[in-house]
Amino acid sequence: MKWWRFVVASEIRKILAFRTDFWVTFLGQTCIQIFIARSLWQAIFEASGKTVMEGYTIETMTLYYLIVPIGSKMLTGENMGFLSREIYEGTFNRYLLYPISFFNYKTLTYLTYSAFYGLQLCLAFIGYQLIFDQFDLNQVIQLSYGLFFFMLASYAYCNLALFIELISIWADNIWSLMVMARFLCFFFGGAYIPLNFFPDILQKIIQFTPFPYFVSLPINAMMGKLSTKEMILGVVILLVWSLIFNWLAKRLWEKGQYTYSGVGI
Amino acid sequence: MIEVKNLRKTFISHRKEPGLKGSLKALFKREKVIKEALKSVSFKIQQGEIVGLIGANGAGKTTLVKILAGIVHPTSGEATILGFKPWERDNNYRRQMSLIMGQKAQVWWDLPALDSFLLLKEIYQIDDFLFKKNIEFLADTLMIKDQLKTQVRKLSLGERMKIELMAALLHQPKVIFLDEPTIGLDISAQKAVREFMRNYQSEFKPITILTSHYMEDIKELCPRIMIIKEGEFVYDGALSEVQKMMGDEKRLTVTTKEKTFKVNVRRSELGSTTSELFKSNDILDLNIHDPSVNDIIESIMNYGIKSP
Repeated sequence: MKWWRFVVASEIRKILAFRTDFWVTFLGQTCIQIFIARSLWQAIFEASGKTVMEGYTIETMTLYYLIVPIGSKMLTGENMGFLSREIYEGTFNRYLLYPISFFNYKTLTYLTYSAFYGLQLCLAFIGYQLIFDQFDLNQVIQLSYGLFFFMLASYAYCNLALFIELISIWADNIWSLMVMARFLCFFFGGAYIPLNFFPDILQKIIQFTPFPYFVSLPINAMMGKLSTKEMILGVVILLVWSLIFNWLAKRLWEKGQYTYSGVGI
Repeated sequence: MIEVKNLRKTFISHRKEPGLKGSLKALFKREKVIKEALKSVSFKIQQGEIVGLIGANGAGKTTLVKILAGIVHPTSGEATILGFKPWERDNNYRRQMSLIMGQKAQVWWDLPALDSFLLLKEIYQIDDFLFKKNIEFLADTLMIKDQLKTQVRKLSLGERMKIELMAALLHQPKVIFLDEPTIGLDISAQKAVREFMRNYQSEFKPITILTSHYMEDIKELCPRIMIIKEGEFVYDGALSEVQKMMGDEKRLTVTTKEKTFKVNVRRSELGSTTSELFKSNDILDLNIHDPSVNDIIESIMNYGIKSP
């Protein structure tokens, strides 16, 4: 077995080692968020007297908010601080000792978490469709597109996270920076409110940022709202952003390794 | 072989005044402090040698080890280990090297040790036969066979140290950096680790640099020692020679009503010093003896080597 396959297997074992956490985050968190979103949007729809708002019915809006929490977990993969915490504590040293690239190792562990949450997303999506709609071939295709885009977005976000977390070589505590970056990505990505509700000018501006490709694009793919052209463009843009963030993270490490002091030993 | 020439390392840190005022001030302006952790260190170590690296806290031992293990870059100077520059982190170098840190776990806490070993097998590309042979040999010698399937975080400190040793030696490294391998261990665990390292060294003949504050580790394992003080070597030579260097000295342990203190005195000055001590102190007990290796090393670490 190649080392990367073993890393994936080890990470899955680590996730499964905490089964209470697994079920609480999967069932508890998702159910609560859907309940809040459904109640809130039902009130908004009733107050407005409309049955369709910016292309969303109450059912599609519920589906949107079913995808958001698990999709966001897919996007953010391993926990926030997955690298900066290791730099702070000194366990990062092990990646410098092992004869493998720490970028590859950390990207792999990150994407393993994303794939695992992807499995949760599959179950939630299929469950929802079976209960409220019908699960047919068309939705299998939509689900596949959605998962593909979320994985691609996770890869891009992982590179952005690597870049931000490496700043901890200079500034020990970068928690606030990470929280701010996550908020920006989620807010302008459409995780809190679908982007269709944003003013037109803002929608146009954020197209030049990576944010809408992190959340909104995969959700729209999963809900069957993307044309083939939009999907191809989405793949290209996500790959370009991934390359940019990857390049930035590697340049930062090239500088940072001269400053890195291997604290903790 | 390890060859180090004029290796230097400076660290930049920031100093903050104590108290709330200092914290507020540091939000806007911090005082930069440049610390010279290593000042032009040079030495050579041959294959099969085990060398004790000794020094007080902050003397530069760990910095030197971190540079040689490739974790940090030096500010200037050269180092070649098995033909590689360590900080370039060539995979061929990293496959032949190991760093064991007594204070820091390198195996994965949430996994059983055996899972970590299987991962390391793939990372280091150890073939199946050698892996099985090494697991058996190491687990038997360290008497840790029954703990291999338990999550590492659930093991005792001594058991974890043995797991760390196993993890670091699975790939039979040619260069080993042992940083405080017996720290926090009880006496029997310390003995077991020392015994194991002695056997391992004689069987596989790696280059080993051992840093430890426990003189027993050094005395039992290292025929050669390097003493580092404030980033500079003050002694590099045989442990047996250290005692001869201070052969002219006697150590006086003096107990007064207030305190007990130790003082090194030249044989020729023994009479005059003791009578001075009796005159100026209310002495309850006075003990004259030859300084032990620990005393001598402590003296070198604190005051350097005295000229004859």
